[in-house]
Parts: sequence; C-alpha cells; structure tokens
Amino acid sequence: MKIGLVILFIFSLSVVTTQPLEAAGYSLKEVTPAVQNALDARKKRFDRLADLKVKGMIGENNNGYVSALEKNNAAEQLADEENQNRRVIYKAIAQQNGLGKSVDIIEKVFAQVRRDKAQSGEMIQLETGDWVQKQ
Amino acid sequence: MLRNAFFVSGLLCVLFLVSGCTVKAVGDPQRPITINAHITLDIKGLEKTALNIEDYVSGESQLETQSTPGE
Repeated sequence: MKIGLVILFIFSLSVVTTQPLEAAGYSLKEVTPAVQNALDARKKRFDRLADLKVKGMIGENNNGYVSALEKNNAAEQLADEENQNRRVIYKAIAQQNGLGKSVDIIEKVFAQVRRDKAQSGEMIQLETGDWVQKQ
Repeated sequence: MLRNAFFVSGLLCVLFLVSGCTVKAVGDPQRPITINAHITLDIKGLEKTALNIEDYVSGESQLETQSTPGE
C-alpha cells in the first residue's frame, strides 16, 4: 500500500512539474480596477508606512496585515487603510484561483513574505504570536 | 485432538490475516487513492505572486500577472 502511494505521488509530481509554473501556480491572473486601485494606493502609501515601521509605530502581524503598535490616530488610520487595500488584493487572488473561502492561506503566505522582506529594526509578529524586532 | 483443532484454527486465522494484508497491500480498486499534491505545490506559486506584488508596491519591480509573465 505504501509503495502504491509513493508511485502515485511520483506520478502526480511528474504531471504537475511538466506544466509551466505560471499555469500551475496560484497567481494574480487579472488586475481588476479594484485591485489596481488597491495597488496604487499601497504604492502611494508605501513611504509613509515604511517610516512608521522604522519608528516602531506599525508592525507586520502574522495574518498578512499591519497593526498599529501605539495609540496614535495617524498610525491607526494608516494601518486601517493599508489593511483594506490588502484585503481587496487577497480576495481577488482567492476568487481568481478558485480558493473562495481560503483567504487565510493567502494571508499567511503574504505574512511570511513580509517577514522575510522586513527591514532590520522593524517589528514583526511571528507565527507564535510573539512580536519581535527584525534583526 | 483439541490441540490439533486449535492449531488448525490458528493457522487458518493467520492465513486469513496474511491474505487480507496482501489484498490491502495490492490496492483495492473500490477505494481509489487520491493525493492532492497540487495544493502543496501551488504554495510556491503563491509565494512568488506575493513577492512580486510586494516588490511592485515598493517600487522594486513591475507587476507580473498570468497574461504578462516575467522576463
């Protein structure tokens, strides 16, 4: 039975890996107007967000969103706006790839990518829930 | 005689178990085995997408979509 499973797995692997990655992977297949607006807003906001991250007022949480780490209206508002835009992008990816209710998977992947891309000194939330300063 | 009966019945049980295991090891066509390997593999595609989007937002690269693969 185990040998049968291994053979079937290898067969599945060979079928999938012969296809181009773009056709096989989950991706942003179409940039809808809503997605483009969200991306443009995030691009415009990027420098301000980066500045607040360096100051430790905003951090990347482990759900793929940002959290205001201090009681500051400006930081909280910026975080809300950023999270709204991110949610639009995540939902678009989920819908376009037939993931429907599995937005949480997309959120987790984005969270990991952001942890990896975070600059030294920025606050990030690990999968354990602990907040740490990126080294 | 009783001893022989126990021996034979025990042997029959062992044979039955072995044959049952053999049948299961070969695979039961009534129970097809399905492995959703494509879901695990597509996480890599999602990581690539996430990285591309974050690079685009930070101004480091152009946005790649399904219809515009990267160079």
